[in-house]
Amino acid sequence: MDILLLLESSLNGALVGLMYSLVAMGIVLIYKSSSVPNLAQGAMVMLAGYVILAFSNQLGLPLWVAIPLGIVTMFIIGVGIERVALRRLAGRPIIMILMMTLGIEIFLRAGSMTIWGGTSRPLPLGISDAPLFLGPLLINRAYAVGAGVAVAMFVLLVLFFRTRIGVVLRAISDDYTAAWSVGISVERGVALSWAISAVVATIAAVLWGSVQGVDQSLALLLLKGVTVAVLGGLDSIGGALLAGILLGIVEGLASIVLDPLLGGASRELVDAAMLILTIMLRPHGLFGRHDIERV
Amino acid sequence: MTENPIEEVLTLNNVEVVYDYVSLAIKGVSLTVPKGGMVALLGANGAGKSTTLKSISGLLAAERGEVRRGEVKFQNENISGLMPQDRVKLGIAHVLEGRRVFEHLTPDENLIAASAVRSRHDAARNKDRVYSYFPRLFERRSSAAGYLSGGEQQMLAIGRALMTQPKLLMLDEPSLGLAPFLVAEIFQILSRINREEGLSVLLVEQNAIAALEIVSHGYLIESGRIVMHDTAEALKRNPDIQEFYLGGAENKNFRDIKHYRRRKRWLT
Repeated sequence: MDILLLLESSLNGALVGLMYSLVAMGIVLIYKSSSVPNLAQGAMVMLAGYVILAFSNQLGLPLWVAIPLGIVTMFIIGVGIERVALRRLAGRPIIMILMMTLGIEIFLRAGSMTIWGGTSRPLPLGISDAPLFLGPLLINRAYAVGAGVAVAMFVLLVLFFRTRIGVVLRAISDDYTAAWSVGISVERGVALSWAISAVVATIAAVLWGSVQGVDQSLALLLLKGVTVAVLGGLDSIGGALLAGILLGIVEGLASIVLDPLLGGASRELVDAAMLILTIMLRPHGLFGRHDIERV
Repeated sequence: MTENPIEEVLTLNNVEVVYDYVSLAIKGVSLTVPKGGMVALLGANGAGKSTTLKSISGLLAAERGEVRRGEVKFQNENISGLMPQDRVKLGIAHVLEGRRVFEHLTPDENLIAASAVRSRHDAARNKDRVYSYFPRLFERRSSAAGYLSGGEQQMLAIGRALMTQPKLLMLDEPSLGLAPFLVAEIFQILSRINREEGLSVLLVEQNAIAALEIVSHGYLIESGRIVMHDTAEALKRNPDIQEFYLGGAENKNFRDIKHYRRRKRWLT
């Protein structure tokens, strides 16, 4: 087998993986600040894609205006989701909240299907199709840009969680009641985490939309996002970054090694295997927090 | 309003708390905490001590409880409708039972998180103050709080409450699961804060021996009702208290306990 082909495939895989990380970071962000596993993140990405297209195509705004408008809109939608759907569930069993996020996922998908239909629409960022050359290896330019943005987002989020407000969000995630007892407005904290996560989803939507167009299939990024988030450890942003790279490389290699044997679809199989094995062997992921038990 | 100064920082008048719309947890609790005073609320498991504190700090809502009747007054102001964070802002701090520190945060971050209702400037000053009361926390300020010892976690929980600049500090069983020398140390620090800063303290305890050493007054709560109220000295001498809460009884059996409960029902 061609070693160069393997290298090239794993390199591009790593870049795609970093773009998965971008979706995963939205999930991690909410988990890290309210202990809620958000199953609506994929649909949020899809919705953000449609929102940006609505600003650029239907209102005729240029993309550099439509994207910031999309970010603001999604921020407000994130706050709204907390206010309408989640506030009344604060302090309730996690399974109810989990089901609620699943309900939001289905609602957003069905809603966008009704409003915008099922056809795929392009979201051209103007990134050239011509590959980058790294020695003999060809690299997809769009993936490289996406990976760069993911790394930048990672740095921003890590810095954010060190600020006073970031510390407060982590405190909420640890113990709602204790947070209330010291005067933290848990509701506002959770709303903020959903809003920021919606912004991250918007950025993911821009990049993924430019790669594969905007349609319902963007919501399927949830599966990649969940796999990466779980593999990295649900509350570790750095874990999401590294797990994304790992999953991307494994996917890239699998598509070359396994696809000829299986006749395709090996990427999805590999994803499923990674998710299931993580949960079986290392439930808190590569870098997730253990629940502390003193001995 | 009249001219006389506020004598009580906290007043509960006939407070009744209901969980889930049906189950009555406390049935008409009245108590007062004088300004700058230290008061204990004693009682057995399930008597309604924690519920009483939650009715003051506003944490009932999270457990689907509500104050059905009566009023909770803080500095002569009815606070019944306020959110927990607004009560904290007014100066009510509640140290929860079982310490409940933010385990994955360091002690330093625990303190920062607890200063959400105060300015950044105040937070820095309060943190220095907390570290001066609890030097041990300063030594361990950058390891995860979940790995601190039980005593250190209790100190952190108290320090976290102090970060909110309370006028009234309520503690729910701070002695739970701690070695006696640690209980003594923590209670000494509490009296010191009470003396030096004039902080009012409402101490909920099952450990009546330790609690009655540092408070001036005590209330005894049983099955959701206050059944006794007196000075700490008088409570310590009271034969019933000695028998049931101070471990003074030599040969107690269940018939005596029944007898006691029956008698008490007549009294109240």
